[in-house]
Amino acid sequence: MSDTNPTPSPSSVPELQERLRAEGYLAGRGLATAAFIGLRLGRPILLEGEVGVGKTELAKCLAEIHGRELIRLQCYEGIDTQQALYEWDYARQMLHVRALSARELNDSETTASLYGADFLLERPLLQAIRSGGNAVLLIDEIDRADDEFEAFLLELLSDFQITIPEIGTVAAAERPIVVLTSNRTRELHDALKRRCLYHWIGFPSIAEELDIVRLRVPDVADTLVEQVVNAVHQLRDMDLAKPPGIAETLDWVDALGVVGSDNLNIETAADTLGSVIKDRDDLELVHAELDRVVADG
Amino acid sequence: MPNSTASLPMADPSELPGPERIVDRLVGFGHALRDHGLPVGSDDVLTFCAAVAELSPGDPNDVYWSGRTTLVHRRDHLPVYDEVFRTYFLHVPPPNADSPQEERPVPQGSTGTLDVPDSEPGDEPGDEQPLILGLQASSVDIQREKRFATCSPEELAHLRRIMARIRLEPPTRRTRRRAPDPGGPVIDIRRMARDAMRLSDSNPALHRMDRKLRARPLVLILDVSGSMADHSRNLLQFAYSMRRAAQKVEVFCFGTRLTRITPALDRRSPDDAMRLAAARVLDWDGGTRIGASLDHFVRTWGRRGLSRGATIVICSDGLDRGSPALLADSMERLQRLSHRIIWMNPLIGNDVGASPNTLGMLAAGPFIDELASGHDLASLEHFATHLADIG
Repeated sequence: MSDTNPTPSPSSVPELQERLRAEGYLAGRGLATAAFIGLRLGRPILLEGEVGVGKTELAKCLAEIHGRELIRLQCYEGIDTQQALYEWDYARQMLHVRALSARELNDSETTASLYGADFLLERPLLQAIRSGGNAVLLIDEIDRADDEFEAFLLELLSDFQITIPEIGTVAAAERPIVVLTSNRTRELHDALKRRCLYHWIGFPSIAEELDIVRLRVPDVADTLVEQVVNAVHQLRDMDLAKPPGIAETLDWVDALGVVGSDNLNIETAADTLGSVIKDRDDLELVHAELDRVVADG
Repeated sequence: MPNSTASLPMADPSELPGPERIVDRLVGFGHALRDHGLPVGSDDVLTFCAAVAELSPGDPNDVYWSGRTTLVHRRDHLPVYDEVFRTYFLHVPPPNADSPQEERPVPQGSTGTLDVPDSEPGDEPGDEQPLILGLQASSVDIQREKRFATCSPEELAHLRRIMARIRLEPPTRRTRRRAPDPGGPVIDIRRMARDAMRLSDSNPALHRMDRKLRARPLVLILDVSGSMADHSRNLLQFAYSMRRAAQKVEVFCFGTRLTRITPALDRRSPDDAMRLAAARVLDWDGGTRIGASLDHFVRTWGRRGLSRGATIVICSDGLDRGSPALLADSMERLQRLSHRIIWMNPLIGNDVGASPNTLGMLAAGPFIDELASGHDLASLEHFATHLADIG
């Protein structure tokens, strides 16, 4: 992935949709417009939406169509600058200090060498700034990180430059494409949202989802795809604790393929339900009404 | 939403002759949104104009989507955005002409006085509860607005003490982040490397660190139904002080439905906060459906992670008119989604150790980690003091 060869951005929304489609990603007009504006204005794109509707996938496809490297920062509770930005390789530095002091080298040049590129461990954000126009930076599940990290990110996203005290300021020659995703486990700060273009991705309509499944798993019979998509839409209407996303629909189609079934009926649905419903209470509820889910589908 | 706009009549392109006119229209749209309560900043409008410039300003679809992505920052605002867009660009009259949603007239004349007993002896003149009936009345719940008058000096003193206690000893949890700590279990190699370089010391001292402590999130779920009418004022005051004092506090109220009142409690003055919070809750002193309300909480807020690692405090007498099975189910889920569940039941009174035998309490019982009383401000103050231990 390192020897990437960036291609220019699409010049219109339909072109962007077309090129995303070629990568197997169906973007609606709204999502494509948001992404297009983000690309044109060099603004980060913040995607919120239900689990499994393709937030992360968009960043991957944007990287593909631009021939750029995807740099992913998975956020988690307690993430700090050392894991996100850069860290010095302390163990190696200490060994080096030992070696230097054994040889009694003490001039400024050897001291400076301690803070050279050899000892710097680049983390995703620094990598993205260094790669600049060759990168798509995906900051995944930003809502999982804590407030301190969000504040830090705010600074980074406005200037795309950071200062490493021992080395100096590193600035991105060209802004990378930035995509942030959030599952809304908590409300993000307005300041961060204001830096970004916002788009909410909802569940697709039946027709859209049929297109998506056909595009992603082309060699599955149309009747099966229709049955599965209809059944998933039934499930989404059922007031479940965790309604299935598009990812689950695709998993279900795959699972049915693995067990070699080309028809969704009560037995095959019961056997493969674990690929769509991932909550015990939901499973019980769905099992009780499986005939309705499948029959209507 | 894309479909609905696409099918609407297009704006007349001749209406947008020169670039200045277009910018005027776009900026005007920003103002219109602001008039309808959306927080649209000047920088947002700038971005909006820049975005439209990249697309075609004559196409309502482009204008719609670029506005939606630049001027709206949260999902809840989307319906308002859609409505303003329709009236402003597509000249479709709003459902109820020129009155924004927030200012929908409240039916007058149905105001009466209900003798809801107040827990405080000092009966201030404003303490009666004017009702507004029939806003969304159904056979199930009678919706009323409860008005809390100004706090008495005594109450204010209690509130201040609760805040002070919570500030002193908030419930905490360990985070994944580390901070220097001489007795900690992890070696801080970063500091040691720095020392080694700075002091050129071949045997640097051991630095240690340990995981930091942080405030644990607290979720208050308050029962404001008829049977709890005596306590709702206290509970709301308690919620206000907790919200002001601790870092991560979310407050919900329920009778027959669940309402989030956290934003209302952020007012500096307790009277304002109380008034705003009271106005938000529409089912004061009605029936109780604990199961359905908790279920709603688990499905919308709990699922998103609001209660993860949090101490949940449910304040209710457990007199439920809904199904006990639903209550037990939602409590079980809630227990799995949170750190601890504390149930404050005013029926316990001062008799600590008593367990009220209402059906609701029996259903919820197995999932409660701690029972507390909280029947007046003094006991709530006591509760606040010990929250750090039980939480």
